[in-house]
Amino acid sequence: MTGVPLTVIGGFLGAGKTTVVNHLLRNATRRWGVLVNDFGAINIDAALIAAHDGDTIALTNGCVCCGMSDDLGAGLARLATRASPVEHVIVEASGVSDPRRIAQYALVEPGYSLEPIVVVADARALSEQLHDRWVADTVRAQLAAAEIVLLNKIDLADPATLAAACCAIATIRPGVRVAELCHGAVSEDLLRFPGARATRFHADAPPWHEFVTWHWLPPAALDRERLRTMLRALPASVLRVKGFCRLAPDAAPHLLQFASGQWTLSPADALEPSMVVIGTPDLPHPDALTALFGKTLASSQPDES
Amino acid sequence: MSAETRVFVARRIVTLNPSLPHATHVAVREGRILGVGGPDMLDAFGPAALEQRFANDVIVPGFVEGHGHAVTGLMWRNPYVGYFPRTAPDGTQHPGFRSIADVVAYLRQIEAAMPDADRPLIAWGFDPIYFAGPRMTRADLDAVSTRRMVVVAHVSGHILNVNGAVLERAGFSADSNLDGLARDASGALTGELQGPAVMGRANRVTGDAGLLRAIDVPALRDYAATARRVGVTTSTDLANVLSDADVAVLRAATEADDFPLRLVPAMRAREYSVADGIARLTALRRLSTDRLYFGIAKLVVDGSIQGLTARLRWPGYHNGAPNGLWYVAPAELGGIVEAYHRAGLQLHIHTNGDEASELATEMIGRAISAYPRADHRHTLQHCQMADEAIFRRMQTFGMCVNLFSNHIYYWGEQHRTVTMGPSRALRLDACGTALKVGVKLAIHSDTPVTPVDPLFTMWCAVNRITAEGRVLGEAERITPAQALQAVTLGAAYTLHLDHRIGSIDVGKFADFAVLDRDPLEVEPMALRDISVRATVLGGCVFDNT
Repeated sequence: MTGVPLTVIGGFLGAGKTTVVNHLLRNATRRWGVLVNDFGAINIDAALIAAHDGDTIALTNGCVCCGMSDDLGAGLARLATRASPVEHVIVEASGVSDPRRIAQYALVEPGYSLEPIVVVADARALSEQLHDRWVADTVRAQLAAAEIVLLNKIDLADPATLAAACCAIATIRPGVRVAELCHGAVSEDLLRFPGARATRFHADAPPWHEFVTWHWLPPAALDRERLRTMLRALPASVLRVKGFCRLAPDAAPHLLQFASGQWTLSPADALEPSMVVIGTPDLPHPDALTALFGKTLASSQPDES
Repeated sequence: MSAETRVFVARRIVTLNPSLPHATHVAVREGRILGVGGPDMLDAFGPAALEQRFANDVIVPGFVEGHGHAVTGLMWRNPYVGYFPRTAPDGTQHPGFRSIADVVAYLRQIEAAMPDADRPLIAWGFDPIYFAGPRMTRADLDAVSTRRMVVVAHVSGHILNVNGAVLERAGFSADSNLDGLARDASGALTGELQGPAVMGRANRVTGDAGLLRAIDVPALRDYAATARRVGVTTSTDLANVLSDADVAVLRAATEADDFPLRLVPAMRAREYSVADGIARLTALRRLSTDRLYFGIAKLVVDGSIQGLTARLRWPGYHNGAPNGLWYVAPAELGGIVEAYHRAGLQLHIHTNGDEASELATEMIGRAISAYPRADHRHTLQHCQMADEAIFRRMQTFGMCVNLFSNHIYYWGEQHRTVTMGPSRALRLDACGTALKVGVKLAIHSDTPVTPVDPLFTMWCAVNRITAEGRVLGEAERITPAQALQAVTLGAAYTLHLDHRIGSIDVGKFADFAVLDRDPLEVEPMALRDISVRATVLGGCVFDNT
């Protein structure tokens, strides 16, 4: 296990982030730990509330919902040390924040594994927001950070408006997966990268799996410097690399977490070396990836130059 | 009429009272001003005691710091390592540091004297922008200690330098390739941390809450001592959660007879839902005393210019950095402004960039047009890049401004060369335009961001000279009389207190600053060299000597 999955939900004010969070909490099949920006907007049926303590609500279904004060890192640290651990953490970003900045906390705080950056957009308002004199750049930056867009309120948008919203998203973030929904009714599966072994080469991959995964079992210890060099040069189609490896010279086990150019490589308990690469459909071919990652082996021959 | 009457005599009293601009005697009874004039004050109101200790000095209205933070009183619990000299609450002058080597040598001394080996050493106020040569690195701070965690916080609030012990405890290594962790050419971490994620983690491992530390009574007393020493008799605490505990501390401190300051805390509105915040502030207003005033809500719209997080209009940052951040969505700001406005409360809104000032002005204008309310005095705080058109609209809507004149000195060169460029920097904190257009004006320090010292703030607004000695925006200079008004009656107006403080007039509190020279007569360049001999608060003298 590379860490507790953490999904950032961003998107502009009014897009429906809190509705998504409410939907998830109400229909939970896993124990969510949710950090919300506006605690007052969380609307839980009284029957679902097991305990309400200041800025924290514990639900009868095992979920917990916490108000986020100024320090998101502290909130994540508190969640990580709870007596009854959560299975997946959702961070609801504020309506004006850059979700990429929020996602960085998942790399800085130990114990988390960054799942897709989800950005909720208001199908009816998006085109207008992208032309607003004050908020256009903020909305654009949020969409540019998205790894999945939840296009919400499609029931309120006429076909032309909906088409314009889709077109705008495709322009700002070409190729990004867009899931259309109403009333924030999101499928839980959208908040995680596809699980083990599901790849585009897998015939049964669900249709929304527009992420591609590739697995690598490092056959021997890696060279730290070669690994760094390889990570620095990864193409933009690589969204995540996570897993365990051993580093030469003493084969010390390490945990690697890579997300869109940032990464941490930290000592870990000994586990079987195994890495997963998650990317967009433009991910290099498995043969190319095998060659790329193979060059990080301490035993491999350096390139002639 | 048995209450005692005391008459203060001075070489000159600058009253800011239009009916009698200058006087020599002021009669005080029950903490308030009974009469202002000449020697006739001595027997105009029956028997009176004559106070001659200021006979050779100049009395002006007590200064009003319209944008300060009481957290200033906590800063000195940690060592100061800033570039500019600064005065501690006990009056000790701390010299500025002119090189990294000097900072390190000082921290080594402090470290050697620390008894508890585990306590982190956290220094504040570091300001290397005028240092030549390389930036501070972890090697510099490892030279202070390799065992003890050492943190040097930059005065900008946006950067920390830490030693290896902090990096290790935070889990940051050469293999932490995270935004905000600076590296040298070899890829090693330099110990410079930027951004809330990595800075927040470092603060958590050292146990330092930075500027969010809770203020206690001793800290408030230290802040009051710092402000009093420079002639301030009323100060804001412009971002206070105003929890029950905060209010208890404010009340306990200001109820003490020897507390030398009137305090005006502003509630951090975003700590509450809109409805809760309005209810809270409305309830708190009833707790106001002569020394403690509630009723202002604080909002923050954008970041800072030097941190490149202020919202700017075209053409944006001179160095090409992307536009800054909204701290509140524009539409949401409109809703909050309207709600507080309708509830009869007053808003003090932080805007640094011109786009933020334009937005806040627009939203206040909409609220006022929909729900007319005379005398609201909503105020833009900092408002550093407003141009004439924004000021004109502010005037139309009856808004006030509190400009950050100290910025001209402390960051003027940065704004000229990096953030604003040579043209727009001329209108940085444009006091001249604000007054010409008729906007009610205050000027401020934002202590602890820059030191509280209203005479220095006046000097900045009057001379507009940067730390490198360059005049920035000569046409925006104001006169010493206008500057004096801005740090007294002008600031009092933005707090809805101009009927009680800010000038020396019958019925007002006997709040004075006692100076060795007349700020309206000295050379403008000498304004900052005027000595504050004492303050008088409600007739009680607090001597500086």
